[in-house]
Amino acid sequence: MRHSAPLEALRFQALGTSCSLFAVGLPRDRLLEGELWTRRMGARLTRFSPDSELSGFNASAGRWVEISPELEALLRESLHAFETSGGLVNVAVLPSMIGIGYTKPMSEGRPAATMTQSRPTPALPDVLELKPGAARLQPGEGIDLGGIAKGWMADRLCEALGPNGLANLGGDLSAGGPGPAGDGWPVGLAGVTVLLVDQGAATSSVRRRRWGGDNDHHLIDPRTGQPAKTGLEEVSVVAASGVEAEVVAKTALLVGPELAPVFCAARALAWWLSP
Amino acid sequence: MRAAALKAGATVLTVATTVLSSLYVTSHLKNPAAPLQPTVLRSGGASAVAGPGGTLTLGPSVQPSDVQPVTSTYAS
Repeated sequence: MRHSAPLEALRFQALGTSCSLFAVGLPRDRLLEGELWTRRMGARLTRFSPDSELSGFNASAGRWVEISPELEALLRESLHAFETSGGLVNVAVLPSMIGIGYTKPMSEGRPAATMTQSRPTPALPDVLELKPGAARLQPGEGIDLGGIAKGWMADRLCEALGPNGLANLGGDLSAGGPGPAGDGWPVGLAGVTVLLVDQGAATSSVRRRRWGGDNDHHLIDPRTGQPAKTGLEEVSVVAASGVEAEVVAKTALLVGPELAPVFCAARALAWWLSP
Repeated sequence: MRAAALKAGATVLTVATTVLSSLYVTSHLKNPAAPLQPTVLRSGGASAVAGPGGTLTLGPSVQPSDVQPVTSTYAS
């Protein structure tokens, strides 16, 4: 069955990466609203701006602080991701990221490798407490929402785009409805086109955002507090949602090539494992 | 006399039901070629394709296609 409604597309730069929104039978204004929402959320959730809501929370030094419904939802999603990944997806890696010199966006230049010592990342439930409308972070700890924020935002955007839309925020994407031709949204995954219907996809990789030596990159292994080195360099995943795909992809990369196929078989709908 | 008639009637009813059930079942054999409802696009487990850069595995709910993708997942 082919849809006669036109496919509308909007591409823009936000969140330090390339973003795109697609919808069938939706006016362009709705896509522009999605772009504005993306920029607003990005400004609130970035750790690189001292004025963002996330930076204010990270600087709260052990006090209970009021947080927005969006940040609360993301922190709850982060706690859920910690549980379902066995602790491997841990947004409390910010001190380690700062420790390796990743203190500014890559677009502003390569970080200077400065880490002299590292520590395992503490369990997220031990440092982050939540109650409705408020949260508390242990002093000395910090949150980097990273890919979880992009996957979660892609899911929210996809919902806002109506019954037949797709949101892609830097490779974390969420596809809803039957797509432009009625048989699913055609999405590239490891050089192959797959058709997604009410599904999400994400890629976790240590091949981007690299600097300095062979193992200087942004993906921290919470077990060591250092950049991950597991035998896998890139994992792409299709799952039930964008944020689920992000969590599964990152977990698979961190568990390494022996356990990743088993983990993906249990949690993913399709997966690409690249050593 | 009445009890014997009831026993006989019950026996006849049981035998008749058994015979009729057997006839019905043998005349309505399962068709192994009958389509599944709802249609299963691809049965079986996941299919894996190994290439020089890695291994791609597609589960039964993700269909490959030859059309040009509108977008891709990638590392950013």
